[in-house]
Parts: sequence; structure tokens; C-alpha cells
Amino acid sequence: MKLTRIAAVAASIGLILGVAGCAPSAVPSSEPIVIGSQAYYSNEIIAEAYALVLEDAGFTVERKFSLGQRDVYVPAIVAGEIDLFPEYTGNLLQFFVPTATETAAEDVYAALATSLPEGLTALAMSPASDQDSYNVTQEFASANGVESIADLASLADITLGGAPELAERPYGPTGLLAMYGVTVSFEATGDTTVESLVAGIVDMANVYSADPRIQQLGLVTLSDPLGLFLASNVVPIASEAVNADARALIDAVSAAMSAADLVALNVRSVDEKLSAAVIAREWLVSEGLLD
Amino acid sequence: MLDLTELGAWFSDPENWAGRYGLWNLVAEHLTLTFVAIVVAAIVAVPLGVAIGHLGRGEFFVVGLGSASRAIPTMGLLFALVLVMGVQFRELSVVLALSAIALPPLVAGAYSGVTTIPPWIRDSATAQGMTAWQLVRHVELPLAAASIIGGFRIAYIQVVSTVVLAPLVGLGGVGFGIIQGLALRNFSQVTASSIVIIVITVAGDRLIGLSQKFLSDRLGKPKPLETS
Repeated sequence: MKLTRIAAVAASIGLILGVAGCAPSAVPSSEPIVIGSQAYYSNEIIAEAYALVLEDAGFTVERKFSLGQRDVYVPAIVAGEIDLFPEYTGNLLQFFVPTATETAAEDVYAALATSLPEGLTALAMSPASDQDSYNVTQEFASANGVESIADLASLADITLGGAPELAERPYGPTGLLAMYGVTVSFEATGDTTVESLVAGIVDMANVYSADPRIQQLGLVTLSDPLGLFLASNVVPIASEAVNADARALIDAVSAAMSAADLVALNVRSVDEKLSAAVIAREWLVSEGLLD
Repeated sequence: MLDLTELGAWFSDPENWAGRYGLWNLVAEHLTLTFVAIVVAAIVAVPLGVAIGHLGRGEFFVVGLGSASRAIPTMGLLFALVLVMGVQFRELSVVLALSAIALPPLVAGAYSGVTTIPPWIRDSATAQGMTAWQLVRHVELPLAAASIIGGFRIAYIQVVSTVVLAPLVGLGGVGFGIIQGLALRNFSQVTASSIVIIVITVAGDRLIGLSQKFLSDRLGKPKPLETS
């Protein structure tokens, strides 16, 4: 197992060095627009939607999907290897500016726009978001009359489940106490967080807001009136190789995608096991962005 | 890459040693999981290996188990067991998955320890009128002891390095520091946790190695049977 880990790390380093080694070159207009995506099915659907509308308008695109996590692909974007990438405002801002304190959607977007490296632009952000959120089961919500994180302050002995890093995140136990006066004990539930919530091992779990299981399992996402969580709207990051015509097409896709749309797309991916291309195409057609 | 000052600062910060996810607790959890998994596996594996070696029947099983152990997708097994049995039983699932990894080297160690005993030793024991049980108890087990411990050594190394994955399914262990550190890009913590894992792996291996040497010195030599 150790070997596989080392191999994975070595491969990531290789990828970073490989792409960073290539100097960004001026891209002639006939060059294809290289579209990247994370190794995350939801992100790939959005990237596929960009690719489809661009192709439909006569652009040549090249898909470089499933590029792993931010540490791996951001250097490739900065190096000019990738021209267009669906990102998330808050998480990307935190990547470039770890000390950023903005949490509201508009503030985060404005801060991100000024912190991107030279040559990269954040196109208009979409109303769709995929961000951290605290969720409880329907039973817990009804039994304790909880709708908002603020309602938890009167409860004792709340166990919060999430990935190991949640313990140190600003919106983790420390932030809950400081902003809402909610005391929690933290339980690192790793990749079994949702299962642990349903099984009652934890009372509240950190789940991405566009996770299909919130809908499938009838979980209750607690509202966050004070802005504990960093807003993370879908935002296309474009290099200079993406011209004004292409940008207008991508902006239309972003504007059309509502938060509910994104969840619905994810549900289709998980439930019906359809490919990103099929899901993206059908959604674009239903929005009138594609024939 | 490796900043020794930062690494030293990480180790000397008492915050990183105390609490639910502090280093002391994580090391204790790591070793407990390793220990329990190996004990569970040994209860099955050692008698099985000795029996196969003693009876000279079922060797194909040892060979098959050895090959299978190389093909087990550890992480897949870990997740599959936890999801099948349910997160309520995650401790049990993880112990079972780890035991599955510890089983083949333990069986192989016990089997080869017994089977490599020269035939004349057994023949002379039988000729003296020993029953099968006395043969196992007084001849085969003592002579195989070093090889059995050798199996424990390999099992320990494999299990202790696989426990690193336990935090993925919500358990502790020093892997927590690595998985959390990678996500937070706190590379001092990742390095420090890796060092701790290397230390407990090497130290445990040495310790078992010492007991192996001790046992083979004491039991490996034929000694007169106590007469009653």
C-alpha cells in the first residue's frame, strides 16, 4: 500500500514538474481550447458543458479531464497548459490566499478576481455552488427543532463528523464556537461521513451542498445566517486563449446553471450512472443552449 | 523540501501530542489496531500452519494464500467491509481487513517452520513412542518457534503500514496526521507523522526480531525431555 502511495505522490510530482517545465507560449487562434476538470464527477459534467457549447459554436476544444486535485492542476493552469477550468470561488480563493476572510458569495468572487495569477480571469460566477455545509438527519432536526446552525447553541453534546482536516478549518469546531457559540466534539469520520451521520455515530456532518445524498437520504442542510462557510460558487477560470466570443458562451452556461440544477446533474450521475457528456448535453438542450 | 526547523517545532509543540487526535493517542490507537488484528489472525493462522505442516496435507492452501495476499486490494477490502458491515461496526471491519493481511505470512511462517524440521528428528521422536500431540507440543512447536515469530514479523510490518489507511473510514492511527496534513498542506505534520510511522514500524520489527533470536537460541537446540 505504501508503494502505491509513493507512486501516486511521485506521479503527481511528475505531473507538476512536467507541466511547469513547459513555458507558456502565445497560443494562436487556431489552437484548440484546452478544457480541464477535477477528478470529481460533478466538476467533469460542468467542464463537459463548456466543451459542448464551444464545439457547437465551431471552436476546437481538447478535453483534459480528471486531473486530480487542486495541488496538481493549478500549476498546469498557471503554466498555460490548460485554458479553461470550472472552479469554485471560495476554495480557489483559499488556495491562492489561505488567510482570506471573505465568506459571502460576492465578496469571495471580488477577492478571487484580484488574487488570480497574471493571465487568468475569473469569468462570471454561476448561481450554482458546491460548498461545505452542515447537515443533520430529518429525525434530529424534528426532535430538536433545528433549522439553522444558530439553533444548535442551546443543545449539548453535539458530535460533528467530517474529514480529518475539518478539525483545523476555520469553519470547524473553533469557528462554530466563535461565531455561533456552539460547542461540538469532533469525530474524524473520513470518507464514511454520510454513513456515520445516518448510523447516528455523529449528530451533524460536513457534506458538500451539491452532494446527491443530501436529497436521496433526506438530510437537512442547516442554514448559515452568519456566513460561517466560505461561499463556493461555480466559476470558470479562463486564460487569454479563451476569446470574447467563447467567454460569452461560457457566461451563458454559468448563468443558466442554478444550484438545484447542479444537484440534479449530480443525482443523475450517481443514480443513472450516465456519462458526463450525456448528462451535460441533455441539460444544455433543456436550457436551450444546444439544439 | 524538508525543513528541519519546522519539523522540530512541530514535534516540540505540546498541542500536537495531546488530545483526541494528538500523537500519543494516535500512536496508541495505531498499535492497538495492529496488535488486535495480528492476535485475531494468529488464533486462526498459527494452528492452521502447524497442522498443515504436521499432516503434510493442504500445502496448496499455503501457496494459494501466499499468492492471494499479494493480490488483496487493501484499501478496497477496508472500504468494502466497512460498507457491508455498516459504519457502526467499523472497528470490527477494520480489524478483520487487517487480519486478512496478517493471515498469509502467519500461516506460511508456521507451516515452513514445521515442514523444514528434518524427518529424522520426527522419526526418532515417534520411535520413542511419542503421540502425535506430544510430537507437536515437544518437538515441532519448539523447533518451529523461530519461523513462527518470523511470520509475526512480516505480519507486523504489513499491518502496521496498512493501519495508516484507517482514518479514511473514520478510525484513528498515525495516518490521521498524514491525511489531515495533506488536505491542510501542513507538510511538517505529514513528515512528522511519516517519521513516527517509520519509527514504530522499525522498532516493532526489531523487538520481534530480538524475541525471534532469543527463542531460536533457547528452543532451537534440542534439549533433554523432562522425565516425569
